[in-house]
Amino acid sequence: MSLVALSELLGAPVRDAAGVAAGRVREIAVAPQDHPTRVAYLVVRTASGERALPADSLTACGATVRANTNLESWDRLAPSDGMLFLRRDLLDQQIIDVHGRKVVRVNDVEFDCSPVNSHLSLDVVSVDVGAKGAVRRLMKGVVPAFTLRALLDRIPPRFIPWKYVDLLETDPARRVKLKIAYEGLSKLHPADIADIVEDLPPAEREAVFETLDEEVAASTLEEIDPDIQVSIVESLDSNRAADIVEEMDPDAAADLLGDLPQESTGQILKQMDPAERQEVSQLLEFSEHTAAGRMTTDFVAVSEHGTVEDAIAAIRKFEGTREALATVYLVGRHHQLVGAVPLVQIAVSSPSTALSTLQEQYISCAPDTPEGEVAALFDKYNLITLAVVDEQERLAGVITADDVISMLRRKH
Amino acid sequence: MTIFRRGFMRRLAIFAAVIGPGFITASVDNDAGGIFTYSLAGAQFGYSMLWTMGPIMVALIVIQEMAARMGAVTGKGLSDLIREEFGLRITFLMMLALVVTNFGNIVAEFAGVASSLELFGISRYIVVPVAAAVVWLMVVKGTYASVEKIFLLASSFYVTYIIAGLLAGPDWSAAAVATVSRPGIEGIRNYGYLFMVIGLVGTTIAPWMQFYLQASIVEKGVTVRQYRASRWDVILGCIFANVVAWFIIVACAATLYSAGHHEIKDAADAAQALRPLAGDYAYLLFAGGLFNASLFAASILPISTSYVVCEGLGLESGLDKRFDEAPAFYWLYTLLIVAGAGVLLIPGFPLVHVMVLSQVVNGIVLPFVLVFMLVLTNDRELMGKHTNSRFFNVVAWITVVAMIGLTVAMVLTQK
Repeated sequence: MSLVALSELLGAPVRDAAGVAAGRVREIAVAPQDHPTRVAYLVVRTASGERALPADSLTACGATVRANTNLESWDRLAPSDGMLFLRRDLLDQQIIDVHGRKVVRVNDVEFDCSPVNSHLSLDVVSVDVGAKGAVRRLMKGVVPAFTLRALLDRIPPRFIPWKYVDLLETDPARRVKLKIAYEGLSKLHPADIADIVEDLPPAEREAVFETLDEEVAASTLEEIDPDIQVSIVESLDSNRAADIVEEMDPDAAADLLGDLPQESTGQILKQMDPAERQEVSQLLEFSEHTAAGRMTTDFVAVSEHGTVEDAIAAIRKFEGTREALATVYLVGRHHQLVGAVPLVQIAVSSPSTALSTLQEQYISCAPDTPEGEVAALFDKYNLITLAVVDEQERLAGVITADDVISMLRRKH
Repeated sequence: MTIFRRGFMRRLAIFAAVIGPGFITASVDNDAGGIFTYSLAGAQFGYSMLWTMGPIMVALIVIQEMAARMGAVTGKGLSDLIREEFGLRITFLMMLALVVTNFGNIVAEFAGVASSLELFGISRYIVVPVAAAVVWLMVVKGTYASVEKIFLLASSFYVTYIIAGLLAGPDWSAAAVATVSRPGIEGIRNYGYLFMVIGLVGTTIAPWMQFYLQASIVEKGVTVRQYRASRWDVILGCIFANVVAWFIIVACAATLYSAGHHEIKDAADAAQALRPLAGDYAYLLFAGGLFNASLFAASILPISTSYVVCEGLGLESGLDKRFDEAPAFYWLYTLLIVAGAGVLLIPGFPLVHVMVLSQVVNGIVLPFVLVFMLVLTNDRELMGKHTNSRFFNVVAWITVVAMIGLTVAMVLTQK
């Protein structure tokens, strides 16, 4: 097995079975639908136009490329958008480095070149994003080959294995043909995906958001800078946007919809599931900078006469964010707030214990409390969650500490 | 453009939401070198140089609009687009050239800071190190809020030149007529006159501005939908920059030219010469304006150069990264400031040669940048339906060909 770089192959002279110089390598194509890494053919610029030299007739790959077939048998190049052209689609373009969790630019591509039966098989193994590839390309043809090799040996490599590379493609049809699904990306933590997405140009952001699973897209969107959130959601079609917004935490969804132009908000709301829509529309009516604007309406409330077992049953059914789970609220017959039990107490108590014996003093605030005061309450009472109650003392929503941290960070 | 979360450029872009990237770019363009060139034009040729302001403004708007449009449509910086469309080698050479010409500009800015304060008797051995430290600290340690206030103040200070122009008591009707009339044929034949025209164009339209403007548009997150507002920002910015330039020329024409004081050796010298002719206030405004413009440009040039270069070459960049994560970025940034300020403190340093080299490289790079911009803005795959219209292309090509002709002439006449 030996390694060869894309920049070494591009421009290399090609000799056919008769040893005749047929032309030079102009491009290298991979067919992701047939094989994810194997090179399908080399595009050779010959005197009789551009031809596709099938990779399975290669016998040497390096400064000179040799084939065991004749020029006449190589097909003329036909346009195809199902092929990944490494020079055009990869070299100098941005990709997502899933392992390093960032967006990087490709300086070169490395192939593994190994003999199979009577020919060579060429597979993409990694992309070079470091100085090595850059220096090789800058110096090629400028300094003698052996000096260049000696120089390159002294540069520490920075390669990203091909399996950690997610390509960026803005055309949805082509994305399907090239089998780009952002599988690597979608396994990252939403906060990391958000960082990566913020670094991308708008069209590439949309491409990622069109492809990501709705749930992942929703948690990612929550972590993204509000301005960028708006531009992403506006670029998606309202159906897709509604699907993603439905999966978001209601308070985050309301914040986002509040920032959108009225028309888009209306369209997205119209396409949402009725229950979700009602929750979000209620939140939308509050100013973003008050307790009500910050609260989520997804929380765990149990009857004041319930037991630990009831609380656990409610927790199991709960579909909201984990942060809101930190406290189980006790409510009376008319949903008025009467007490709060920390999750820890529930975890350490026997199932039959009455919740009323575990309740602690709770702190609450009115829906129109300014967000600065909300933060002050969290600080003063060391809260993890804060209940928001209306004029009739009914529990309207819950503010969680993570929202307060985001709010405070945003101010600076 | 993979940039700079929470970094300086990002903060700058947010700040630019108030003033606008077009406005900032145009303001930074009226830097120490620019002010000197305008002053000299006024001192040597009086009002007869004013006709150039119209065509220069049109050229500036046409070119800046292309950069802004590209940024809004593609969401990528100019260096990224050049890298993606024209390859690594061309990008590398262009970035190298950009570093050289911007280094010359940075030296000129620190020289402007030094000479403006030397008017008040403060030694450059104190001023230059302090200015360099202020620039470095402001960018690296400053909070967004404080930097914003400082830059807002700095941008507004350009008005000093307009006030100085008013104080100089020019002959308004003569100035107005000179602005709209055709240049006399005898002027064109005059070698010095032609050289001055070239200088005016060269100082107004520089390669770094295109990179900087497009990067700020991208950072600000301007998209195609909001582009209409950005176009106005670019146009108004260019007009404001030209109005300031116009007043500088008028102020010097009304005083220095009329009094027969044709030779000035730098922008501070112009302020000095104004004193007996236009009074202490005009002198103070001119000197203060120069200090402000130089320091403003000195704060923005090193950081934006480092960003653009590292981005284009795919190197890690951003002030939110640690030194060992983005060594090239920090080395370049620090070197531009330390060396840019440092050379002024070396007695007998061949400053003029650095400037000439920078001007020549500037002249060599500009045609490439402009042609690349035209190729890119006509690329349908890249720009979709926002490619140049035919009419715009005609205007743009005329501008570019004229720019190239003038720049080649300037490079050839540099001695």
